[in-house]
Amino acid sequence: MRLVALDTLAERVGLRRGQGAAEARAMCPSLDVIIDDPAADRAFLEGLADWCDRYTPLVALDGKDGLFLDISGCAHLHGGEKALVDDVLSRLFLLGIEARAVISSSAGLSWAVARYGNAAVIAPEDAERVLAPLPVAALRLPAETVALLERVGLKEIGDLLHAPRAPLTRRFGSLLLLRLDQARGHADEPLSPRLPVPSFSAERRLAEPLQEEEHILELARHLSHDVRLSLERHGEGGRLFELLLIRVDGRVFRIQAHAAVPLNDADRIAALFRERLQAVHDDLDAGYGFEVLRLSVLRSERLDPAQQDFSGVPDESQPLAAFADKLCARFGPDCLTFATLAESHLPERAGGFAPLTDVAAVIGSRPVDEKACPENRPLRIFTHPELVEATAEVPDGAPRSFNWRKTQYRVARAEGPERVAAEWWIDGEGHPTRDYFRIEDQEGRRFWLFREGLYGRETSLPRWFMHGVFA
Amino acid sequence: MAEKAVQRETVLSLRETIAQIENRRLPGVVRAAQAADPAGFRRQREEGSRNKILPLGVPPLDDVLGGGLPLAGMTEIRNAETRDAGAAAGFVTALAVLCQRRKREKGHLGPVLWISQGLASREAGLPYAPGLKSYGLDIERFLFVSIRTVKDALWVAETALSVPVFAAVVLEIRGNPACLALSESRRLHVRARAGGVPLLLFRQAGEEEASSAFFRLQIKPASAGERPLPDGSMLCGSIGHPAFHVLVEKSRAYASADIFLEWNAHDRRFYPIEQSVASQADGQSANSVDPFSASVGRSSGADQMGRLLAYARAS
Repeated sequence: MRLVALDTLAERVGLRRGQGAAEARAMCPSLDVIIDDPAADRAFLEGLADWCDRYTPLVALDGKDGLFLDISGCAHLHGGEKALVDDVLSRLFLLGIEARAVISSSAGLSWAVARYGNAAVIAPEDAERVLAPLPVAALRLPAETVALLERVGLKEIGDLLHAPRAPLTRRFGSLLLLRLDQARGHADEPLSPRLPVPSFSAERRLAEPLQEEEHILELARHLSHDVRLSLERHGEGGRLFELLLIRVDGRVFRIQAHAAVPLNDADRIAALFRERLQAVHDDLDAGYGFEVLRLSVLRSERLDPAQQDFSGVPDESQPLAAFADKLCARFGPDCLTFATLAESHLPERAGGFAPLTDVAAVIGSRPVDEKACPENRPLRIFTHPELVEATAEVPDGAPRSFNWRKTQYRVARAEGPERVAAEWWIDGEGHPTRDYFRIEDQEGRRFWLFREGLYGRETSLPRWFMHGVFA
Repeated sequence: MAEKAVQRETVLSLRETIAQIENRRLPGVVRAAQAADPAGFRRQREEGSRNKILPLGVPPLDDVLGGGLPLAGMTEIRNAETRDAGAAAGFVTALAVLCQRRKREKGHLGPVLWISQGLASREAGLPYAPGLKSYGLDIERFLFVSIRTVKDALWVAETALSVPVFAAVVLEIRGNPACLALSESRRLHVRARAGGVPLLLFRQAGEEEASSAFFRLQIKPASAGERPLPDGSMLCGSIGHPAFHVLVEKSRAYASADIFLEWNAHDRRFYPIEQSVASQADGQSANSVDPFSASVGRSSGADQMGRLLAYARAS
């Protein structure tokens, strides 16, 4: 076992990273050793990144222990850059996290100063002055390059700043100069945010944290009003909404709600979250309350304003969409389904149900091919055909009687067979052919049975299955 | 004074019309007036609700049901055993087809919502789209919800009933769950009446149980007729239109009802079939003996009713 990370106290005692745990114990017998758990560290860092959403929507993860926040245009909301850094650090301190933060004009410079320097806000013109005394390791270079640079005496970044570029590239590779330019702000370094940036959002920060569900809903309604205004201005309607709740202790909850039609009605948006909150009720632990609420529109579509007519026939798509939204919010998007037909010989493939994500599927008429739908199909079908024991007079004829679910049925009439071959282009060859029979038993129940395999050609012991029931 | 009252009523009815056009809830004034003035408004309403009956086209059944299927309220359809679920599902689907056709004729969308408890559709099979289509249902307007628990199914049904869009809502429940007792069925019934939506409670493999439904029908399988040939004769040994044996267990009529029907998917309507043919084809074995004589003036749950004063709760 080797040490991978140390706290301040351990560093002061003189322990090093990479040291064996036994050796460290010998140096400091009261040492607390905690097993490294990279997955948990990662989850914690992501939790922090979520929490940083309160400052800017553009948050990117950096390695195992850093976060990049793109605060372009956000700083003034928090009282300036210095105030922003102080706010971040003091809040993190209260959460029990030791952190360093630097604001500068490039990600590379912030990275370097946060780890090796000592400044909070760096103006663009000061970049080279601050960078010069830092060690070359601050340039995010591989360890070999750093060792190589140090061996030739280039120990500080200042030594590189004014050195000729061509020999440096030839000797140490292009990465060195790229990193150098990125730190100086000469080369662009795009950050990739963890989460897509919402097109519209509205936010409230509260002095008094909220705990009650009704209060959250009420606030969500207010936020929907704000979002509605910007949606209306752009002529759009939201399809996917997200309510972000930041708890006092820094835990972040995201609740998404899907709408079946583009929405820009505040009440309808708020109603989506009423159902969602009901559904996630137990998972949403309010603890000491939520202090930041943000409603964002993650996906939106064009929504042309519609005019009500006076024909007296109300528009039926809206109530239907509201119903679909309520159901999806409560039971998930797969709950409400609509019937689909497919061109297939196999009965179980010919008809099915697909989740209704867009009400237009029901409103608009889908052209259904008449040929796709043969006559004499049962009203209900078993997802998995059930094995029955049947006795037939002749091996490839209709059954005389059969046992289904431990009951014997005597066949009064039978129609068939209807031969359905396997779909070799999907299943491959060698799948048995089916012979379907419509059967009526002596009490008038009508069933759909099939025999799997052609007698004599494909199998010598064909099996019988119950596949559906007729009206 | 009288003139003033007439004017007031005109204004109120105009407001109601506007509210309907704008698809809003009734303004408070009109609602208050409706509550306060039962004589005027109620009468109109009842006249309206009398129209809300869908004749099934089979005179004996329509007589027992008081004109036909009520289009606002709950009707319970049950079958005794799971293996009869096909027949009952066929009858329910036929009713849904009729409701849907009526709604479509009025220019509405007329979607049908089928809510099924997960257990029910696992036991008796899922609705099958090609089969429903050849049965006469417009499957482009068919929505299906499969829900694990009865409680959630009830919630979905209630939500659906408050949306005045559906041509029919089918709630398929297996057995007699405790959470669908008299009070819950009352609640559903009231919702269905308020929403003006027919709710078909399809109780699969369930016992007879007191409920708030207008009617309770038990569906048993019946032998189908034979397939007609173009020249008018019948194709021997073939299976024709689906047939049902309908027992009316709860109704307002004081008469036994034991009706045989068949559903013609092409005409999209029921036809009566002669009982003699049906009972002969019903497959009763020759030596079966009725334990009690059929009672008159009782619904057809008959032989048990004599010794029962009230139903024990089945759930």
